[in-house]
Amino acid sequence: MWIQIIRRCVQASVFLLVIALAFLSLYAHYKAARVIDDEQLMAGLRGEATAKWIHPFISQLDDPQSFLDGNKGTVWSMKLFGVSLTDPLAAVETLSASKFVHWPLLISTLIPVVLTVLLGKVFCSWICPGYVLFELGGKLRKLLRFAEIQPAEIHFSKANKYIFLVVGLLIAAIMAAPFFALIYPPAVISRILHAWIFGIELTGMLLLLGVILAFEVFVSPRWWCQTMCPGGALYGVLGQARPLKVKLQKKACTGCLDCIPVCEAGINPITQSTSIECDNCGVCIQHCEPAALKFALEVPLISAKKEKETRSVSKKVKAAGLIFLLSLGATSNLFAHHVLGLPHYSYKENYPQRPTLEYPATTGPYDVLLTSYPGIPNPNEPANLAFYIKNRKTKEVFKEAVSIRVLQTSTFGENTTILPSTSALPFDNQHKLQCTFPVDGEYIVELTLVVEGREEVIPFLMIAGQPTATMSIILTTLLGIVILYVVVRAIQKKKARRQQQSLQLEVLN
Amino acid sequence: MDRRNFFKQAAALGVSISGCALFSGLGRSSPDSDGLLRPPGALDENEFQATCIRCMRCVDACPNHALIPVSLNHSSGTGGTPNMKPRSSACMLCMSEEGDYLKCTEACPSGALQLVKKETEEIKEKVHIGIADIDFDLCYSYNNWSCGACFRACPLAGEALTLGNWERPIVNPEACVGCGCCERSCIRYPHAIRVKKEPQA
Repeated sequence: MWIQIIRRCVQASVFLLVIALAFLSLYAHYKAARVIDDEQLMAGLRGEATAKWIHPFISQLDDPQSFLDGNKGTVWSMKLFGVSLTDPLAAVETLSASKFVHWPLLISTLIPVVLTVLLGKVFCSWICPGYVLFELGGKLRKLLRFAEIQPAEIHFSKANKYIFLVVGLLIAAIMAAPFFALIYPPAVISRILHAWIFGIELTGMLLLLGVILAFEVFVSPRWWCQTMCPGGALYGVLGQARPLKVKLQKKACTGCLDCIPVCEAGINPITQSTSIECDNCGVCIQHCEPAALKFALEVPLISAKKEKETRSVSKKVKAAGLIFLLSLGATSNLFAHHVLGLPHYSYKENYPQRPTLEYPATTGPYDVLLTSYPGIPNPNEPANLAFYIKNRKTKEVFKEAVSIRVLQTSTFGENTTILPSTSALPFDNQHKLQCTFPVDGEYIVELTLVVEGREEVIPFLMIAGQPTATMSIILTTLLGIVILYVVVRAIQKKKARRQQQSLQLEVLN
Repeated sequence: MDRRNFFKQAAALGVSISGCALFSGLGRSSPDSDGLLRPPGALDENEFQATCIRCMRCVDACPNHALIPVSLNHSSGTGGTPNMKPRSSACMLCMSEEGDYLKCTEACPSGALQLVKKETEEIKEKVHIGIADIDFDLCYSYNNWSCGACFRACPLAGEALTLGNWERPIVNPEACVGCGCCERSCIRYPHAIRVKKEPQA
């Protein structure tokens, strides 16, 4: 029992650590900007209360700056008390993408690798935030079953994750860009937490987690961890010869099989507890009433002979691994923009810089740049809009009159006109206009100009205030889950009916 | 494994992998992936994209909040890599900070940012974020006004940026490190001086 309590505590503290590190970074920014001591400047800043609350603790330290520099990052890669820790998956992936050995990166993976070699896949079951989320998915399934709604139960092969790891590394090697970094759930979750504290929206990432979770709840239990996770695959391989194992005392086992349905890794603890799939979470130990399952330390050298039959890897697999490693070294980087035929960086002659306050467009030979001040206009405050129209080839500025009108977009029906068509002459090489946006939302600023005798209309989509997109995405996700559920339920009903029919037929016959 | 099961597994795996690839937007360019300004000490763009592990530790380390990760919402292959938008916040080359190295280069675990010491000579040699570029139709000093704000903001004033008559700025591309202080300080909308990525071989 206490093992599970400790495990939950560790998992919770990892979440807290990620949040705390993000807050420390936010605090470091305020400290560097020297606003932390100033009540007036701090007012209304993000995380104001927390920053003020930790301020006295940190200023008491001997060297606050080195403390702030030494504690940074997320589960993907972090610095804790000055020690750099990196997920081995990040190192392996970047190694295959760049084919360049950066020793500090490899050294920073040392602690996780040693821990995995000694303790097995404990990163998964004890640390990974994704594991916590997907365990929650398992609990949701239980809840569904309790409500007598039977979710589908499709199982995929556990070997898939090793194939995914290999394919992903090959993709990274060929595309010369990390691939897992963007989809690996622990990295994604810690990034979402980090972005949440810094006030950046990451709805796309939430969507990924939502899709995986929905799939696990309704279709395939613990799908990601058991059959897809490339990190789990890597940790599994690293921790294959772990001394810490869940061991069965055959004499004590009553054969109640209580441990099988509770296993988070989806294996049979009685026969497979020493296999590569076991992540030493210890749930089976908790559920084993006769206490036949226990953690046991076992030095691999002594038991190597005994284990050899069960653990021996066939020659084919070894050869495949060797071929893979060789091919990884032999693949040449195929930089992504070459594949897609995109131009090289800096080839583009127009402005590469696009801060939020600029909206570029082109028409005929002209480059048009809409600038607004303030960058994202506040509703009910006058905003200055300026069009800068310049000929791309001759580098001459457009000097004739243009007409401008502003519309408010609406999801249903006609767009409403905010500012009717007005003519503007250039002043200081720009066409200027003042406009007041009434509410938060999306607007269209329409520019009409005469180019080579033709009248060209360019619509610019502008955002005023902070229209909420997050809610709509969350609602869509929920709706998607409900629809998926209804479909699954309908299929089950149909199946049940068909079964009943065949039964009736049998009875009749 | 029978044939049917094999095909089921292969199909499931194929769908999941392509789904993940689609989601990560591998190889797709983000709305502003051309001309991303990388932090000081960054490798060449292609090598940088291959080496960067998207941990965003440089973003956390930047004391001036000048580094902003490329949005992960647009699902592009560059998502999560650091980018600089000097108009919002420029690279101060850690001049008012403690420590011997530029903070972002010190924070980088993967070697995508090579260590740069906080010494003028080393900064001049190793930092190549971009090169300032002046639009002569917009710059006040070239259009019957007089300004000189960019010159006063330049950390290498007199070397990277010199002043001509009527406070007209002149960029020396050899010495400019691309910190973007000039772009940040420009009083014009749209800004008349901008940091552009250096052309690569």
